[in-house]
Amino acid sequence: MPSRPSAIWGITAVVDAMPWWLLPLLMALLVGVLCPAAGTLLVTQRRLLQANLISHAVLPGLALAMAFGLDPALGGVVSGVLGALLAERLQRRDGRSHEAVINTVLAGFLGLGVLLIPLLDLRLNLEAVLFGDLLAVGVADLMRTLAAAAALLGLVWSAYRSLVYLGVDPDGAAAVGLPVRQLRLALAVVTALVVVSAMAAVGVVLVIALLCAPVLPGLQRVASLRTAMLRASLVGLVLSAGGFGLALLLNLPPGPLIGVGCLGLLLPGARSR
Amino acid sequence: MQPAPVCSAAAFGSPPLQARGLVFAYDRKPVLENVSLTLTPGSLTALVGSNGAGKSTLLHLLQGQLVPQEGSVLLGDQPIHRCRSQVALMPQRGRIDWSFPITVREMVALGQVQGARTSCCDLDAALQRVGLLPLASRRLDALSGGQQQRTLLARALMQPARVLLLDEPCAAIDPPARQQLLRLMRQLADAGYSLLVSSHDWGEALNVYDRVIVIDRSVQADGTPAEVRHALTALSDLGNHCCG
Repeated sequence: MPSRPSAIWGITAVVDAMPWWLLPLLMALLVGVLCPAAGTLLVTQRRLLQANLISHAVLPGLALAMAFGLDPALGGVVSGVLGALLAERLQRRDGRSHEAVINTVLAGFLGLGVLLIPLLDLRLNLEAVLFGDLLAVGVADLMRTLAAAAALLGLVWSAYRSLVYLGVDPDGAAAVGLPVRQLRLALAVVTALVVVSAMAAVGVVLVIALLCAPVLPGLQRVASLRTAMLRASLVGLVLSAGGFGLALLLNLPPGPLIGVGCLGLLLPGARSR
Repeated sequence: MQPAPVCSAAAFGSPPLQARGLVFAYDRKPVLENVSLTLTPGSLTALVGSNGAGKSTLLHLLQGQLVPQEGSVLLGDQPIHRCRSQVALMPQRGRIDWSFPITVREMVALGQVQGARTSCCDLDAALQRVGLLPLASRRLDALSGGQQQRTLLARALMQPARVLLLDEPCAAIDPPARQQLLRLMRQLADAGYSLLVSSHDWGEALNVYDRVIVIDRSVQADGTPAEVRHALTALSDLGNHCCG
C-alpha cells in the first residue's frame, strides 16, 4: 500500500478521535497566525489592495475547479493570481489609475464567479465563501493552511532582505538589480494561497480583516519587519482564540465575531487621538 | 543560460563615467536630446536644472536603470549594464517609505543586499563616515530629514561603487543639515569618489562644487561655477535658492 494514503488515513483517524472543537480551534489559531504574518508583508509592500483583489478573484477559479472535478483551492489560487496579473498589466497601459483598475478587475472577477455558479449548475454556498464556517473545517483545510504557511515561510526565509529593500525603497531595489517583478509575483501567489486556505475558516471578506487589523497596532513601534510579523501574528493568535472561545460561549458564528474583534483592535487608537 | 555580466572596470580603480550622445523619450515625449558628459574620479559635480529638465532621467540612465534610445553610458571602457553595482544611485527622498519598520543599521546594510555578507566593520565604518553610528539602532522615521539623507548616503557607500549619483539630496532639509551634507559630499570627493548631485536650485552653495552642469533636455552649460555663471545670461530663470 502506498505510504501517502496510509498517512492520510492515520491523520484522519487521529482527527476522528479528537474532540469536535479541537480541529476548528487549531484552524482558527493557524489562520490567526498566518493571515497577520502575510498581512504585514502586504501592508509594508503597499499590496493590500491587490490582496483584496485576489481574495475576490478566487471565486471564478473555485467555481470552474468544482465544475471540472478538481480541487477548488487550486482553481482559486490560479484564478486569484490571474486577477492580480491582469490588473498589473492593465494599469501599466497608459498609466491608468492603480486603484481604479484593481477595483474594476475585482468587480469583474467577482461578477464572473457569481455568474458561473448558476451557469455551471453548481451547489456552492456563497455565504460560506464570503464569511466561512470555522466549525465545518476538515483535515484538508488544515493541510492547505499548513501548506500556505510553509510557502510564506519559504518566501520570507529566502528573500527577506530583498522584501525589506522592496518595501522601503522600490526604485532602489530595481536600481540594484533585484528581481522586483518576480518578488511581487511570488508575493501574489503566497497571498492567493493564504486567502484560499483561510477562506474555509473565516471567508473571503473576513480574511482581509485578519490580513490588516492585527498588523496596524504595533507597526509604528517595531524596529524590523521580522518583529512586525511576529507581533502581528501574536495579536492575530489572541484575537482568533478569543473570538473562537467567545463564539462557543455565546453560540455565535466564530468568523464574523473574529471580524468584529479586528475592528475592536483599532478603536483604542481612535479614542486616544 | 547567459553568463552574469562581468565588469572589468573595477580592476582599474575608479574609471571615469561617460555618457555619449544620450537620447531618451517617455512615450515619444523627448526628455533628453544628445547629452554627453564625463565624470572624472574625485570630482564633485552639480547637475542643475528646473523641474522636468531631465535630471532624474539622466541619473537613471547613468546608473543603467533606464536604457537610452540612442547613445551609450560607459564606466571606463565597459558598458554600464555590466557595471551597475559600481554606480550607486541615491533616490529622491519622496521615493522612500520612511515609516517602514527598519533601523538605520539595517537600512545601511541594504547597500550590500546583492553583494558579499556585510561585516560589522564595513557597516560601522559607513555609519561612522556619515556621523550616524550613535543613532544606528534608531528607527528610520525617528531621524531628522538631514539624518535620513545621510542614511541613504551611507547605504550608497556600502555598495562597491566609486561613482555616486545623488538625486536632489538637499531637497526639504534645513540649512544646517544641508551644509553638513555638502561638507560630507566634499569629503567623499576628496577621498576619490565621483559625485554627481542633481538640484533644481541655484545659489551660492554651488561654489562648493568643482563643476556645474546645467541641463534643460540638453546640456546648456558645463564648467566651474564661475564659468557657468558667466556663460548663462538668464540665471534668474533658474531661481536663487540655497542648495547643491
